[in-house]
Amino acid sequence: MDEENTGPFRRTSSRTRKMASKMAAALASTDNRTQAALARLEALESDNAGAEVVEINDDDDASLDEDDQVYIQKKQSKSMKRKTRLAKALENAKKAPRTFMEVLQDANLEALPPHVPSYLRAAVGPPSTTSRRHFCTVCGYTANYTCVRCGMRFCSCRCQVIHNDTRCLKFVA
Amino acid sequence: MASSGVVVLDNGGGLCKAGFGGERDPAAVVPNCLGRSSSSNRKWLVADQLLAPDADVTSVSLRRPFDRGYLVNPELEREVWERLLRSLLRVDPSSSSLLLVEPLFSPPAVQRATDELVFEDLGFRALCVADSPALVHLYEASRRPPGGAQCSLVVDCGFSFTHAAPVVDNFTLNYGVRRLDLGGKALTNYLKELVSYRSVNLMDETLIIDDAKEKLCLVSLGIPRDLRLARRSGKDNPFRCTYVLPDGITHTKGYVKDLEEARRYLSLPDGSSTAQCGLKEVIEFQDDTEKLEDRRKIDLTKNEFNLTNERFLVPEMLFRPADLGMNQAGLAECIVRAVSSCHPHLRPVLFESIILTGGSTLFPRFAERLERELRPLVPDNYQVKITTQEDPILGVWRGGSLLASSPDFESMCITKSEYEEIGSTRCRRRFCR
Repeated sequence: MDEENTGPFRRTSSRTRKMASKMAAALASTDNRTQAALARLEALESDNAGAEVVEINDDDDASLDEDDQVYIQKKQSKSMKRKTRLAKALENAKKAPRTFMEVLQDANLEALPPHVPSYLRAAVGPPSTTSRRHFCTVCGYTANYTCVRCGMRFCSCRCQVIHNDTRCLKFVA
Repeated sequence: MASSGVVVLDNGGGLCKAGFGGERDPAAVVPNCLGRSSSSNRKWLVADQLLAPDADVTSVSLRRPFDRGYLVNPELEREVWERLLRSLLRVDPSSSSLLLVEPLFSPPAVQRATDELVFEDLGFRALCVADSPALVHLYEASRRPPGGAQCSLVVDCGFSFTHAAPVVDNFTLNYGVRRLDLGGKALTNYLKELVSYRSVNLMDETLIIDDAKEKLCLVSLGIPRDLRLARRSGKDNPFRCTYVLPDGITHTKGYVKDLEEARRYLSLPDGSSTAQCGLKEVIEFQDDTEKLEDRRKIDLTKNEFNLTNERFLVPEMLFRPADLGMNQAGLAECIVRAVSSCHPHLRPVLFESIILTGGSTLFPRFAERLERELRPLVPDNYQVKITTQEDPILGVWRGGSLLASSPDFESMCITKSEYEEIGSTRCRRRFCR
């Protein structure tokens, strides 16, 4: 099952890792409902809801590898006159602050033996009951019904009318 | 101030508490962020400048050095600390030691960055790192009569997350800590979302909604009953209240329109609801005087919004994150799992001394609700006793102050020369993290 070689040098396995099936499905799905739900949960952790005021970083695709450091050194030593777009983007990626998730990835916590407590093991796991209560998005009361088009909950006809007039599918691309 | 004093710094994701060791209260409690209002011209307000009475709090975009509770941006943090140290505490770092409170399970990269910041950028003489549950336990144990239990379960509902940590003999049991990824920040964002969806679009106004959350939100003891009550209109609704937004001319900060009205829910009877409850409440509210009528009329010149059931739905997410769709257990289960991972002999003692700390426990009726949720999950022969600190925000700082004034504090620090000799990783092992 596990092709990993645990010799003196740890090699990464060639087996594709299995994510939790629901999570993988949600991430891969183009289903608006799961995407909207995930986006909502991500938004709970954000600091600024509006467009991020990023003064330096224009290039989202830039990220640093080991080769890039060498590249930057070489470029800087050669000529300081003209910076190519790639070099500039790499410099910006270096200056941009890292998020915690990146730091966590780098820490490689799965490599620790199981008796060592770590950030990931300290997470309280899923709830013991999977039943959840739904609340109407218009007024907040207990919701019993779902909109067929976008999946939002509502509690009564009046709230459904308001939802259809103002919100249904208005925020979905 | 003493020339070789100890600076106690509780570095939190939301608020930074700083002061001198041995004192009762910190000298400065400031927001740990930089903010820039969209209207002012490009000047970043640091920390306490955001709290000034004439600061513009509308549409402030914030930059935090913390992300999910850990320090990932040392440059921003340095600016906040420099302002704290130079202007507010007026202390010279090179002649003082620092007691820093760090969150549990910091990744090594974060620890190294913090060490660099403390020793190389600011130049402190010595550093000691502590974690919050141990300090809370220390403070509470010193206030209890001696001979009491030497262990407790500290529930810290902070800005970025909530930890339930068992502490034995001033030492946190790392394997028993359980973390819930919800805190004050998520609560504020949730309230922003609810209000923006239902009345005014306030997605950019973090500071204003923070204020509204602290003043108006409460914990409900029975959601179905409270939702029914919140549906009523007008005077019969004990939860309805209005928050007035700042308009920059007459007042720069928002305020609650009518504070007594906001407290009406306190007269609601506790316990399970019956049909007669509703009738009794209606009779109670009918003897309002005329004076209150004027205050409650909607003032069309001001920008304001109403809150009814959002007041108790927002803290509800700490107790049931599944309602939002998060795949995490609630606070009561978090506590039970933390205790169950400890030795069976320790469990009854831990349940008997649960300490609540952290800013998010300041919601009214928090402890009552937690006890109600916790009691069915705990075996019958164990007692459940929940203590709230008298000041949850400053609780950790006061524990740090106690630790800093203890006689063997100096032996627990690493000095700058030791750091420069052996480096950060080996120094950290002394703190057993």
